[in-house]
Amino acid sequence: MVTRIPSLDDPRVLVETPATIYDAIPPYAPRTEREAEFYTLRDGEMLVNMGPQHPSTHGVLRLVVKIEGERVVDLDPVLGYLHRGIEKLSENADYHHAICYTDPLEYVSSLFNELAPVMAFEHLLDLRVPRRAEYIRVLSCELNRIASHALFIGWMALDLGGITPILYSFIERDEIVEMLAALTGQRMLFNYMRIGGVNGDLNHEFLSRLGDWMGHALAQVEADTALLNQNEIFVRRTRGLGRVDRRTALELGISGPNVRACGVPYDVRRAHPYSVYPELEFEIPTREEGDSYARYMLRIDEIKQSIHIIDQVMHQMPDGPVMAQLPRRITPRPGRAWAAVESPRGQYGCFAISDGTDQPFRFRIHDPSFVNLQAVVPLMPGNLLADTMAVMASLDPVMGGIDK
Amino acid sequence: MLVGPVRQRHDQTEIRIAPGSVIDVLRTLHDDAAFRFEVLADLAGVDTGDSMQVVYHLWSETTPDWLRVIVADLARDDPRLASATFLWKGAEWMEREAYDMFGIVFEGNRDLRRIFMPPDYTSFPLRKDFYIADDSSRSPGLGVRHMEQVHPPVASAAPIRRSRAR
Repeated sequence: MVTRIPSLDDPRVLVETPATIYDAIPPYAPRTEREAEFYTLRDGEMLVNMGPQHPSTHGVLRLVVKIEGERVVDLDPVLGYLHRGIEKLSENADYHHAICYTDPLEYVSSLFNELAPVMAFEHLLDLRVPRRAEYIRVLSCELNRIASHALFIGWMALDLGGITPILYSFIERDEIVEMLAALTGQRMLFNYMRIGGVNGDLNHEFLSRLGDWMGHALAQVEADTALLNQNEIFVRRTRGLGRVDRRTALELGISGPNVRACGVPYDVRRAHPYSVYPELEFEIPTREEGDSYARYMLRIDEIKQSIHIIDQVMHQMPDGPVMAQLPRRITPRPGRAWAAVESPRGQYGCFAISDGTDQPFRFRIHDPSFVNLQAVVPLMPGNLLADTMAVMASLDPVMGGIDK
Repeated sequence: MLVGPVRQRHDQTEIRIAPGSVIDVLRTLHDDAAFRFEVLADLAGVDTGDSMQVVYHLWSETTPDWLRVIVADLARDDPRLASATFLWKGAEWMEREAYDMFGIVFEGNRDLRRIFMPPDYTSFPLRKDFYIADDSSRSPGLGVRHMEQVHPPVASAAPIRRSRAR
């Protein structure tokens, strides 16, 4: 199959070029019912290719959009540009090693990526984690959640064409990232969680930075979001757009702030409590509208709840060791384990099978962005092409996690 | 319907069912007022070395446990299973992933094509007989660069790793 395109030298001359799999219409017969339906164009419809190197696709995502005029008719996300085969790599690495592979999955909230596998491995080992380690885990994870949500606010505004908010939200995010760097030794890929605890105890620099930050954290959030909450352009481009109802949300399996914005109070921290969350007092904010604006506002509410949690953790933090005693080479008994945590994007799960050796037999990562991104397909039809990115940004997918 | 013992460990309950009963079991778990497993937490393929499995993790507010439904003993050379998209539309991509990585065919999924690997790719990377140099993960670059299985595993290669956790 060839396509004919006008020559650069003389537009009247058509040059034949062989079709590749990167053309909008793939050069092979449709393989599935859905593909056949999508790549058949009716009158007035055309395909537009967005990405894979589009600046607002939050990574490397290719969207094939079918449009009629300015309206989106259908959408086909093409994934895999960041696929690194992390599950396969982890199945050929030992348990401690597998945890470092999970860091670059969802690179905005790495601590959650580590926490889920670590918890699954601890189930396999029947291991109890010292209480101080549990508190430190919750503390660092909630800080990471705030950093991730702060970045989301900036990104979302950026995708809507506002450049200023990201400059402010990066201030907040950078303060937290520096704080976590003092704790873990790394700015982004922390590699801090260990099977049986955490890598190191709280140190002086971390605590002094945390104290500083806690003094102005809430005021900072208010200041960041004041730029957007009442901004007429922002509100008009988000309110009522990309609306999901409660039933669709459950059917699609979307989780995290996206499902809570439709009125479903599903948060793994309360739905299936882990770590020390049962001992902490916090609310699960929900909203009923289910549109982009609700998803945005919900994340601001969550930042406030996280600050509240950090406050309690700092007051209740017990003394003691931060690592359980365990041998360096670990060989769990044969068995299966599943652990899920509430990451900033939703339910982040890990399923591990042990076969008695020092390497996981099966290592499965369930990423919330992967499921959430699916929701753009039913959400988009009828919207303007320019709003595609606005709705996608409000779902907050991170391609590193989606593509594994 | 159950083809194995019900196991409980930590916060997880595990049941094991035959491939033929997957629609009935999932529908009952989802719709029955006594169960109400509304959230499909995960859908994963597993290659045990002898057979294929599909593992569902479900959440319900009626129980403090995660429910793990293992669909056991799918034929390794032609694994086929009914799709769960009639209950959870969101299972579509997870089934595509299981197809991409293990070659498990979900009948009833209307978009079962590869999701991570390129469309002209022919092998299934997470199967246990997929060739990967032994120490590729310990020394990055070795064996990772050429992940595509160009040659079938030869007889002298290391035996397929088989799960002892059945």
